[in-house]
Amino acid sequence: MELGPIWRAMMRNKTGAVLIALQIAVTMAIMVNAISIMQERARVMARPSGVDEHNIFHILSVGFAEDFNERVTIEEDLDALRSLPGVVDAIQTNSVPLSGGGWSMGLQTEPGAEVDGTGVAVYFVDEHGLDAFGLNLLSGENFSATDVGLRDRTSTEWPGKTLVTRATAETLFPDDPMGALGKTVYINDDEPITITGIIEQMQAPWNGWDGVERVMLVPQHTLFGATRYLIRTQAGRRDELMPQVETLLAERNKGRIVRSMQTMDETRERSYLADGSMIKMLAFVIALLTLITALGIVGLASFSVNRRTKQIGTRRALGAPRGAILRYFMTENLMISLVGVLLGGALAVGLNMWMVEAFSLTRINAWLLPTAMLTLCLVGQLAVFGPARKAASVPPAVATRTV
Amino acid sequence: MLSMKNISMVYRTDLVETHALREFSLEVREGDYVSVTGPSGSGKTTFLNIAGLLEQFTSGIYELDGRDVSQLSDGERSKVRNEKIGFIFQGFNLIPDLNLFDNVDVPLRYRGFSAAERKRRIERGLDMVGLASRMKHLPSQLSGGQQQRVAIARALAGEPRFLLADEPTGNLDSQMALSVMELISDINRFGTTIIMVTHDPALAGLAQRNVHIRDGRVSDIGADTQIVAAARG
Amino acid sequence: MFNYYLKLGWLSIRRNPLLSALMIAAIAVGIGACMTTITVNYVMSGNPIPHKSDQLFYVQLDNWDPNVSSEEPLEPPDQVTYTDAMALMRAGTAYRQVASNRSGLVLEPHGEGELPFTVDTRNTFADFFPMFDLPFQFGSGWDRAADAGLERVVVLSREINERVFGGEDSVGRSVRLNGMDFRVVGVIDDWLPVPKFYDVTNGAFNEPEEIFIPFNVAVEYQLPRNGNTNCWKPSEGSGHEAFLASECVWIQFWAELRNAQEEQDYLAFLNAYTGQQKALGRFPRPLNNRLDDVMEWMEREEVVEDDAQVMLGLSLLFLVVCLLNTIGLLLAKFLGKSGDIGLRRALGATRATLFIQHMIEAGLIGLGGGVLGLGLAWLGLRGIEALFGEFVKNLVGMDWVMVLTAVCLAICSALLAGLYPTWRACRVAPAGQLKTQ
Repeated sequence: MELGPIWRAMMRNKTGAVLIALQIAVTMAIMVNAISIMQERARVMARPSGVDEHNIFHILSVGFAEDFNERVTIEEDLDALRSLPGVVDAIQTNSVPLSGGGWSMGLQTEPGAEVDGTGVAVYFVDEHGLDAFGLNLLSGENFSATDVGLRDRTSTEWPGKTLVTRATAETLFPDDPMGALGKTVYINDDEPITITGIIEQMQAPWNGWDGVERVMLVPQHTLFGATRYLIRTQAGRRDELMPQVETLLAERNKGRIVRSMQTMDETRERSYLADGSMIKMLAFVIALLTLITALGIVGLASFSVNRRTKQIGTRRALGAPRGAILRYFMTENLMISLVGVLLGGALAVGLNMWMVEAFSLTRINAWLLPTAMLTLCLVGQLAVFGPARKAASVPPAVATRTV
Repeated sequence: MLSMKNISMVYRTDLVETHALREFSLEVREGDYVSVTGPSGSGKTTFLNIAGLLEQFTSGIYELDGRDVSQLSDGERSKVRNEKIGFIFQGFNLIPDLNLFDNVDVPLRYRGFSAAERKRRIERGLDMVGLASRMKHLPSQLSGGQQQRVAIARALAGEPRFLLADEPTGNLDSQMALSVMELISDINRFGTTIIMVTHDPALAGLAQRNVHIRDGRVSDIGADTQIVAAARG
Repeated sequence: MFNYYLKLGWLSIRRNPLLSALMIAAIAVGIGACMTTITVNYVMSGNPIPHKSDQLFYVQLDNWDPNVSSEEPLEPPDQVTYTDAMALMRAGTAYRQVASNRSGLVLEPHGEGELPFTVDTRNTFADFFPMFDLPFQFGSGWDRAADAGLERVVVLSREINERVFGGEDSVGRSVRLNGMDFRVVGVIDDWLPVPKFYDVTNGAFNEPEEIFIPFNVAVEYQLPRNGNTNCWKPSEGSGHEAFLASECVWIQFWAELRNAQEEQDYLAFLNAYTGQQKALGRFPRPLNNRLDDVMEWMEREEVVEDDAQVMLGLSLLFLVVCLLNTIGLLLAKFLGKSGDIGLRRALGATRATLFIQHMIEAGLIGLGGGVLGLGLAWLGLRGIEALFGEFVKNLVGMDWVMVLTAVCLAICSALLAGLYPTWRACRVAPAGQLKTQ
């Protein structure tokens, strides 16, 4: 293959080649970074929340009547919910994972205001909490009914026991996380609270928080005026039980409003709405971009072939078989693509470095670059195939034409 | 060496049938210097394309070196052109983006010679036409006459069986034309067969032998010179 | 001559419809993508109250933990405590000032059989309405006397008024909220500041609240709080009073300061107040008070989502690819008609005239691309609406500024892309292309 002459000829008439190479380069820079973003979002979205998502739904209860007795209402509601056929368990709680709103407190291993605390998300539950969320207790034991206290809007007291996730234990006791069981930690600077169990995994309400795996369960019923009930059903019975639960609660007590019933699946979807949409938008952009670049190559290559019709005829006259002409243009395009993807690789890395600085994105995966290079070279070859075939079909008699 | 018997070329479109060549026959022996003449539209170009295997003909037999080349595939015809025919075009047909070395190199690449062999042949060819010192120059940096000489070097580099020249001096001034024709005559003296297509009687006169085409057939040149004389009045 | 060039350009475009369509499409796609992201960014970073945005200031006081700052890097918290909000309100130093927070109440309609429902509520002071220029359909906000007198008054949104009173003038009528009767003093007309600048801590692009009641009343009757509450140390003691006295921040505080002098004076006042509080043992951190106007505050809170900016950057690069494409196609086109150009030169056209002629042709293509691109941008915005749902309803409309931007961007891009091809075309020698090769 006449690599030298192809390259030299291309260099003497650079414009078309430069345009294609630049297009490929910029396309690659965009593509690589877009894919990197998509990968990161997908990774984040795939993280499990630790709860039995497909079978859980939650509903808000807002008391308003003068004679609304929150404490009694909650007890009776929970009894009724738990005895519904098809319900595995139900609790009252302040928040759910991925909902975007909730409580967080600082826990520290030593008492004192000067000691730095670790931020931990708080879920208020009772002894049914583990079953209602579907959590896995790695060590220690669940709360008992007598552990469960009350908390109104202005209380500042914390109970003596807590169940924490393994991630919380790892942050508080990095040398011996599982040894956190039984240890005392301090909340509110100096209030002691004992870790009586370690949960395998559960996420906080805020999916973008770096402490999203740090959770503590606290055995208290909350009397905040409004509360959330979380219901876990047997597999496949969730949709059937949802309207039943809504009606049940609404009828039982007219001094409160029930609203905002939502499945955990919906909660997850809403939580990652921005990320999911970003993935879709970027996929669309990448597809469109590839199409435009491919069409650009087709256009420029056709032009380039037309310009050299006489030359092609002459080569054929001098003995080039059709295949040689095809290979000429495919090779020329491959050279351009290689320059383009090498330049594109540099641009992609540069763009990524800037975006990591400016937007705290993640760095690109190393294998992404060669994959993208290969793909774009392939796209280029596919795009140039048509014009190259047309070139190969230029008849040798063109060489003797004088117009 | 080259034998055409009753070659006919008919172009058919929906509306009209054109007989570009009718029962055309030609015998060329090794070492001949043949000129093929004729007025415009006579079929000279068609003859050229067929002789050079650039086009398929409708009927007849064409034998080259004893081999019937009438029914060859496109790939086989390309091979024959590459190995046996050396083209010289009216417009030189050098590739403008390549230097002289790469231009002469083109047919050799399709031949499959090694790099060393190609280099040897190219240098020898350019040397023979007196342009070895300008090997790295582009065609645009040369005069018309020099460009045609490069084309001749390209044509000879593969040691073809015959040179097929199409109005070799058509784009040259009289001085350059002279030097190119001298070169062609020299080449023939060294034993290369030459078939030259031209409308210029003076050029035709330089060849050993003349074949005159009129309306697709071989005819007597006499009728045409009378017309020319009448025009000169 | 301009008209002549327009005609020539149009004829040239028509002569090769496929090529022209490709060029217009290439530009249109790039413009469509860019305008979609530009519009979203433009609206997100727009000034929600342009005639006053430099007179409204958000107050931040650094009452936070001496050992660790509230925000990185070393910024004060984004809300204030009850103690500080009330102290600043009592002082009344600014021309106008208002403390407010978000809440949720239950409204019981009077009609028989009508179910109660929750309403998004804002607890605030009298100055809120004139400060933020809320438009009123009926009545007006309450006055400072009502705040002091703990009057149970309420301002309704247009939607709530329609839902509860059928859209009539309901001033003077009563509404039952969380079991208490409130008297309607005003109904606001449609009001949608984008972003919701007066409370970005709770969703910068949410709709405004549905009803407004006096802050003091909400505190007095211990009505519920929605929104963020952050505390760096526990309240001393328990109960409502202890919470109010604590260092927990949960209130947004705005001051209206009409000129630079007032702004300076108010900052001095804040610093003096902080100094006093330090003497009482509060504000352990070094002095770090902030007074940001609307645009500064939104920038500090990074209201324009990172994602939107990333998409904008990628779209602009996308446009670059489309432009490279266009350069190539224009080059092909102009070099393809070098015969025409050579002829014109032979007949007396100068390089300059040819340059103008071809730039105008490029401009025409840009115009076509811009118009088509507008349509594509509209589709793109509808696509974003479909992806994100109701949350972006207020972000995806194009105003005339955007439309103009689209067309200008398209024409400028096309002209830029046309520079090199036109220059190449003009270099064609007169009649050089006329000879047969």
